Amino acid sequence: MRISPELIGIVAGVILLIWVISAFNALVAMRTRVQNAWAQIDVQLKRRHDLIPNLVEAVRGYMQHERSTLEAVTQARAQAMAAAGASVQKRSAVESILSGALGNFLAIAEKYPQLRAVESVVLLQEQLTSTENRIAYARQFYNDEVMKYNTMQSTFPRNLFAGLLGFSQTAMFTLQDADRQNVQVKV
Amino acid sequence: MSEPKQSPSIEQRFLPRDRESFFDAQRRNRRATWKLSVLCVLAAVVMGIPLALIVTPLLYAVTLIAADVINLFSPLPSSFWQQANEVARFGFVAVQWLLEHQPADPQSLAIGATVMLLPGTVLSIVLWLGMNILFRHGGVGGALLALKAREPNQSDLKELQLADTVQEMAIAAGLPAPRVMLIDTPGANAAAIGTSPEDARVLVSRRLVDDLSRDELEGVLAHLIASVGNGDLRIAFRVAAIFETCGLLVTVINSPFGSLSRRTLWRIIRYGLGGSRMEGGAQEAAVVADILSRGVALDTDDIDRMFDTTGKKSLFRSIRNFILFPIFFTNAAIKLSLWFFSLAVLGPSISLLLRTRRYLADASAVQLTRNPDGLASALQKLSEDDTVIPGGNWASHLFIVSLGRGKSGNSSGPNPRQQELLAKAWAASGNTMQSSDASQASEPGFATALREFTAVQRAALSGDAQALERLRAARSALEGLDPSLAAQMPDPADLLGARHGDRAAIARLRAIHGQQSAGGSLPAEEDPSSGASSNSFLDSHPSLRRRLKRLDRMGAHAELAAADRKMWIVAAIFSLIMAPFVIAAVALLLLLIAVMTMASLTFLVVWLAFIHKAFTFFGHR
Repeated sequence: MRISPELIGIVAGVILLIWVISAFNALVAMRTRVQNAWAQIDVQLKRRHDLIPNLVEAVRGYMQHERSTLEAVTQARAQAMAAAGASVQKRSAVESILSGALGNFLAIAEKYPQLRAVESVVLLQEQLTSTENRIAYARQFYNDEVMKYNTMQSTFPRNLFAGLLGFSQTAMFTLQDADRQNVQVKV
Repeated sequence: MSEPKQSPSIEQRFLPRDRESFFDAQRRNRRATWKLSVLCVLAAVVMGIPLALIVTPLLYAVTLIAADVINLFSPLPSSFWQQANEVARFGFVAVQWLLEHQPADPQSLAIGATVMLLPGTVLSIVLWLGMNILFRHGGVGGALLALKAREPNQSDLKELQLADTVQEMAIAAGLPAPRVMLIDTPGANAAAIGTSPEDARVLVSRRLVDDLSRDELEGVLAHLIASVGNGDLRIAFRVAAIFETCGLLVTVINSPFGSLSRRTLWRIIRYGLGGSRMEGGAQEAAVVADILSRGVALDTDDIDRMFDTTGKKSLFRSIRNFILFPIFFTNAAIKLSLWFFSLAVLGPSISLLLRTRRYLADASAVQLTRNPDGLASALQKLSEDDTVIPGGNWASHLFIVSLGRGKSGNSSGPNPRQQELLAKAWAASGNTMQSSDASQASEPGFATALREFTAVQRAALSGDAQALERLRAARSALEGLDPSLAAQMPDPADLLGARHGDRAAIARLRAIHGQQSAGGSLPAEEDPSSGASSNSFLDSHPSLRRRLKRLDRMGAHAELAAADRKMWIVAAIFSLIMAPFVIAAVALLLLLIAVMTMASLTFLVVWLAFIHKAFTFFGHR
């Protein structure tokens, strides 16, 4: 079989096409994983929303002097649930406010040693702490996946055509300023 | 950028050290895994060649005998016999080239080598694949039942925290959360068990939960979940399948000789045909896997019993021994070469591979928690702790820290008062058996009693009814003296039942053995531990120092003990002195294996020729 330049060109073109297809599939798979990771954060946030009323009810009898703190928590929760369909920035803003309010609340609950004897409160607090951890880890996982995705897009040779095929760099989940405020503990 | 030299402690605490990010560590370890996998495959090939040389003639022998038998009833076409002759000729050419250095042209040599090696190799690979498929669904459940694992108690705060931490780590890793099971033992250890990430369970001992802080527990669980996510379970499963294949070969070759091997073979077949749907199938799988993994140890009980010249003699037995004699040689050759190669060649390669996976899991744990200190201090605490998990030896390579001897000295045996009681009970049982002797004034010491006990137990296991009676009498005597001590001694009927495969008996024995290792005081019977780490002279767990050093590079503030330079020098000198002896011993062993292989081949050929002649003679009649 004579090897003509046209044949080499066709073979090379086929190989290139196959490679582009596999790179495209890899990018699509990665993007889906990033979306899935984002959805996981949603799941944990919703779990937090569901846990809060139980905890507030359980401690209301014991913490009668801290009504403002409890109100802040309940209000922040209502706001977070109301913002369910809004943009990512708005949602992370209200969720950060809720985190702050909860942080205040948990710090103040430390002042009430009698709460430690109530088993339901202890278990609920543990669940809340765990949920905060889960949100943190879900964010961490999301950021790790975004890092992989962005790296995949920007390394050579994928960066040549990733933009053409409709893939874009995704933003990581960073702390909002509200989260970074110090926790206020009223003494 | 040159910094002024400062004292090491300040440097350590404030200036950046040469760090390795955990991503780099992971990349490095993954590359090392590939290299070590190649090494393992090479080791398997090296082990496979003598094995194939021994097994292939056996396969041919079986085929030839079957052909002869068929020929008696309906004669096979002559082309078949011609083909058989051709094959044999090629085989002879190869063997002669090897032994007598007779020149042979490369093509027939290649064909001869293929003829001699291929069937055995193909059989081994097929068996290994079969083991993989067979035990894929077994394994996990049965083993957990044996370890008496339980679900975490949701109303206990620490166990709730444990369950929550597992969920958190699974979220950080992006994996489905494995189920958590707890075991109540004095040892502190944890493992991930299963065959795939969907199937995985995390096994934690309650003591570990009590001993470690939340950060350290997070580190340990992150390590386990990371190893699940990295696919370590599959690797461990395949490794176990290799050892089970060796065990299966040994069992098959043992079956003409021993009833135990035949029964094990029958259980495997029964399990293979439909066991996974059997009730208690998972436990059955664990038991079978355990037996198979042990098979590589040099176990000559069956053969000893068969060639026992002091036993009953009969013409049938003598004829049978004579006929099966060549297979005895094959049997010995297979066992010896399997034992040697798996100990010295395959075992260490697999241990190195498992160690690298463990380093990878450490680095991944740091990625998940972003807190290397947690895992580092957990490992340090565990190294000072008692980490024995009774009954977990079969999976010792899956635990996060190696299963050491109990620090509390529980396995050292009975204390003096208990020794006295045991000796008294034994003497009493001896007196009840031999009613002719009057009650002896001097009680035998504990040492003699132990010797007699072991001998009688062995006899009882082979079916000696009198020995069984003696054991029962001893147990009831002990019950009269000290009931709690008697509860720790296994019921003789259970021992016999376990040999016959009674599952309930096996479970009871395991429970007692668990008590013995955990806090009992009877001398535990030698439990030949199975699993990857027992089949090589290298431990499949890296030393604490190395793990801490790597974690330190990733940012942990671990306090490493200064390397003991003197020990190193002594060890180096010692190994230099011993090296020639070790090399000589290895060479001798290899020579022995080669000799046995050739002897087995010779015997087999002669034996086969004899039988073939006999068949053709009777066929022509």
